Amino acid sequence: MTGAVIQLLPMAAEGEGQSNFLVPNFTFLVELAAFGLLFFLLAKYVIPPINRAMTNRQEAIRTQFAELEQARSDANAAEAEFKAQIADARHEAARIREEAREQGAQIVAELRQQGETEKARIVESGHAQISAERQQAVASLRAEVGTLATTLAGRIVGESLEDDERSTRVVDRFLADLDALESSKASSTGGAS
Amino acid sequence: MTFATVLPQAIGGFLAAGGGEEGGTNIEIGHHVTREWFGFTVNIDTISSTVIAGLIVLILGFVLRSRLTKADDHVPSKLQLIWEAVVSEVNRQVEDNLGKVHPYVAPLAIALFFFILFANWLELIPSKLNDDSPHLLAAPTADTNLTYALAAVTIISVWAYGIRTKGVKGYFSHFLQPFPVLLPLNILEELVKPITLALRLFGNIFAGGIMLALIGLIPIWASWAPNILWKAFDMFIGGIQAFIFSLLTVLYFAMAGAGHGEHDDEHEEADSKTPALAH
Repeated sequence: MTGAVIQLLPMAAEGEGQSNFLVPNFTFLVELAAFGLLFFLLAKYVIPPINRAMTNRQEAIRTQFAELEQARSDANAAEAEFKAQIADARHEAARIREEAREQGAQIVAELRQQGETEKARIVESGHAQISAERQQAVASLRAEVGTLATTLAGRIVGESLEDDERSTRVVDRFLADLDALESSKASSTGGAS
Repeated sequence: MTFATVLPQAIGGFLAAGGGEEGGTNIEIGHHVTREWFGFTVNIDTISSTVIAGLIVLILGFVLRSRLTKADDHVPSKLQLIWEAVVSEVNRQVEDNLGKVHPYVAPLAIALFFFILFANWLELIPSKLNDDSPHLLAAPTADTNLTYALAAVTIISVWAYGIRTKGVKGYFSHFLQPFPVLLPLNILEELVKPITLALRLFGNIFAGGIMLALIGLIPIWASWAPNILWKAFDMFIGGIQAFIFSLLTVLYFAMAGAGHGEHDDEHEEADSKTPALAH
C-alpha cells in the first residue's frame, strides 16, 4: 500500500488528468448529501417501526408469559381449593358421623332417663294409690270399727254405749294405741333391716 | 497508467505462465469515471454505485416496513429477523456505552452498518467475461470521497453530541485532561479519529478491489478458485468493516459523552482491532 501511495503522489503532482485518490473532490459533498438522505429516511421511516415491532413482540411475549403464570397459579389455587374442599367434606362427614353417634347415644340416654322417670312415676303413683287406699281403709275402718266395737261391747256389758262422745273417745284411744303399736313395730323392723 | 501498470508488472513474473492478454492488461486502480457538475469534478461511478447501495438498503427497509404493519401475530419474517438482529445489537451497544438507546446515535450506527455493508458487497458482483474491469460495479467505499463523507458525518455528530452532553466548557476542558500539556495530542486525536475511520474502510475495500483485479489477470480456467475464495473472504471483510465502522462510531459517541479515563482504554481497544483486520 505504501508503494501505491508513493507511486501515486507524484502522479497527482504531474497532473496527468488523474487526481490523487486520497484527496476528495466534489463527490464528497454529493456522498455527504446521499448518506444524509439515506440516514434521514432510515431514521424516520424504517428504524422506529422496527423498534416498535420488537418492543411490541417483547411486550406480547411478556403478556403471554404473565397470562401463563396467572393461569398456572389459578389452576394451582383451584386445585388447592378442591383439595381443601375434599378435606372439608371429609371432616364434615366425620363430624356428622360423630354427631349422629353422639345424638344416638344421647337419644338412648334420654330414653333411658325417660324410662327411669316413667318407672319412678309409675312406682310413685302406685305408692300414692296404695297410700290413698290405705288411708281410705283406715278412715272407713275408723268409722265402722267404732260402731261395731261399741255395739259388740254394749252387747257384752249390756249397757248402752250409745253415748257418742264417750264411744268416740274410746275408739280413738284404741286406734291411737293401735297406731303407736304399729309404728313402733315398723320402726323396729326398719331399724333391723 | 503509471501505478496501474507498475503493479501488474511487478507480479507479472509469476503470473506470466498464465499468459496475460497481449498488449498488456490494464488494471485501472484509483481511476474514476468523472463528470463535470457545475464546474466541479465528480466521480460518477462512485455516485452511481452509492445510489445503488443506498437504494438496496432503502428498498429492504421499506419492504420490511410495509410488512411490519401487516404482522399482527408477532411472527417476524426472515427480512425482519435480519434487520432486528442488527437493530437490537446496535441498540444494545449504544445502551451499554451511552447509558440509553440514543434516538440519534442508534439510527446513525444502523444506517452506517447497512449502507457500508451493501456498498462493500457491490464489488462482488462479477463483470462479463473478458471484460477489463474486475467487477460490474466498484464498491463506492473504495473511494475516499464516500468514506470521508461518512467519517465527517460521524465525527461532526460526535462533537455535537459531546458539546450537548457536557456543555461547551465541559467538552473543551476535556482536551486539557489529564494534563494541559497533552492539548496538542488530544486535538490531534480528535482529528485522527475521522481520518482513521475513513481510511480504514477505504483501505480494506480498495485492497479487496486490487485483489480482485489481480485475480482477474489469471486466466479464467485457473482463476475461479482464488476468485471464489477471495470473494468469500472479501464478503467477510465487507461485513467486518461495516461492523467496525458502526461500532467505532458508537464508541466515539461514548468517549465524547464520558470522562477521559475510559477514553484511552477504548481507543487502545479500537486500535488493537484495526491492524488485525486490516491484513
